[in-house]
Amino acid sequence: MIGQMFAAFADENIGIDYRSDTYRDAYSRINAIVIEGEQEAHDNYIQLGDLLTTLKAELAGLAKMESRHKKGFEACGRNLNVVPDMDFAKEFFSSLHGNFQKAFATEDVVTCLLIQSLIIECFAIAAYNIYIPVADDFARKITEGVIKDEYLHLNFGEVWLQENFSTSKEQLEIANRQNLPLVWKMLNQVAKDAKVLGMEKDALVEDFMIQYGESLGKIGFNTREIMRMSAMGLVAA
Amino acid sequence: MFGLIGHLTSLAHAQSVAKDLGYDEYAGQGLEFWCMAPPQIVDEITVTSITGQVIQGKYVESCFLPEMLAAKQFKAATRKIINAMVYAQKQGIDITALGGFSSIIFETFNLSQIRQVRNIHLEIEKFTTGNTHTAYILCRQVEQSCLKFGIDLAKATVAVCGATGDIGSAVCRWLDTRTDVKELVLVARNQERLYQLQSELGRGKVMAIEDALPIADVVVWVASMAKGMEIDISSLKRPCILIDGGYPKNMATSIQVPDVYVINGGIVEHSIDIEWKIMNIVSMSAPARQLFACFAESMLLEFEGWHTNFSWGRNQITIENMDKIGAVSIKHGFRPLIA
Repeated sequence: MIGQMFAAFADENIGIDYRSDTYRDAYSRINAIVIEGEQEAHDNYIQLGDLLTTLKAELAGLAKMESRHKKGFEACGRNLNVVPDMDFAKEFFSSLHGNFQKAFATEDVVTCLLIQSLIIECFAIAAYNIYIPVADDFARKITEGVIKDEYLHLNFGEVWLQENFSTSKEQLEIANRQNLPLVWKMLNQVAKDAKVLGMEKDALVEDFMIQYGESLGKIGFNTREIMRMSAMGLVAA
Repeated sequence: MFGLIGHLTSLAHAQSVAKDLGYDEYAGQGLEFWCMAPPQIVDEITVTSITGQVIQGKYVESCFLPEMLAAKQFKAATRKIINAMVYAQKQGIDITALGGFSSIIFETFNLSQIRQVRNIHLEIEKFTTGNTHTAYILCRQVEQSCLKFGIDLAKATVAVCGATGDIGSAVCRWLDTRTDVKELVLVARNQERLYQLQSELGRGKVMAIEDALPIADVVVWVASMAKGMEIDISSLKRPCILIDGGYPKNMATSIQVPDVYVINGGIVEHSIDIEWKIMNIVSMSAPARQLFACFAESMLLEFEGWHTNFSWGRNQITIENMDKIGAVSIKHGFRPLIA
């Protein structure tokens, strides 16, 4: 019985036509999100440098990497003759962006780090990991280079939050409750486009939850807290 | 440190366990949610050998559910197993057993090709299917239950259902060389593999299940099914011994007729209580002492410091390795369950 299932499974893995209109149309939105995401990550790290003045130079370094990633992903779009839909991408990030700016205005470092250095970085790592096996050759090389940096960025947030765990725990839980449900909604918005690129929504969510759970664990949360926090709002989305 | 990768028997089971453990976010969710759920370590285990040696382990819940196969969610199913393995490796576990359907999925979907997962190189030598120990225990259960219920193997017909699988073929090999069983009946779906096995053994009758059951004094059931098995009880010979090596085990409760003795196959009993919570939820009658033989294999490998994929691949289980694992099984205080 399981042998027959395997035959059906093999049939699912059909090739992707990277030059088709359908693929390029979906790519125009996904590519834009990645470009916008890297731009906002750059801006967010610069702003974080204003809050964490002793780490300003390190944060500037991270921001610089994000700029380089953005250029790489712009090249991926050009390679497929795709014009990224930047208006869509700006709108896509607006709620999360708004929450980051609100937190920045009140000098709430914990929330800023949760949004940028945990949620966004974990999501980027999950998405890039899922994308690499189905990417075109050009984009695969670029993305493989980018993902190595993203682990460093995630590590920055993990280290700071771990060192300040006792004073930031409560705020992390609040910020998680406010922001993670937004991520699920954002994911639902692009699930169809991602599928055209060969990326399954449930694989993306699972990879995110693995990465995010691992980060929360390093910071100091226990298994029970991690299970609750990383699934926050997932079903309602 | 040893590890166990396990999963629950059904969605309903998973929901009730999540509720019992207080994981409310998981308790009320449907299959779609479990397809997205990440692996978790849900138990820490301490095992003491009768030699006095003490080892530590972790239980990794993969969040795989058999319904994923029934619903053709193969990508989700394979992801669960791979992600659980990566997770176990990242926890620094030296040897991990793939329990329940995990090893079957690993083999069936050729997951050994996958060596790089995210930024982790999967070290498959740190994993074992546990099938050698399971096969050994099943064989001992055949021998010991025959003694208990007065069936003389020298005059008996033993039907192995799922004979061409990794465990089934090892059971056939053992029964052929280590016992004086009169007749071996080989039952499986794949005819080509059945005849290969028959020629390897140089004996054995290839039969359909409905022809095999009425003539078998002992039935060893090791076929892999996404749902529990259904068996025509009225067709069974009386008396007969039914060794249920399937997962989930449902024969003991569903088959309660005179002269049909159902044994929970591939289950061992330890001589000393094991410190863990997880076996309470897989419906063992003595949860502190009873466990799947495949899980026990990773404990044995840890006790002996054999951090290697002792059981791996398909149909590679040798009699010598069954002897080897059998000897350390006895040494550390495990014995086949004969209920």
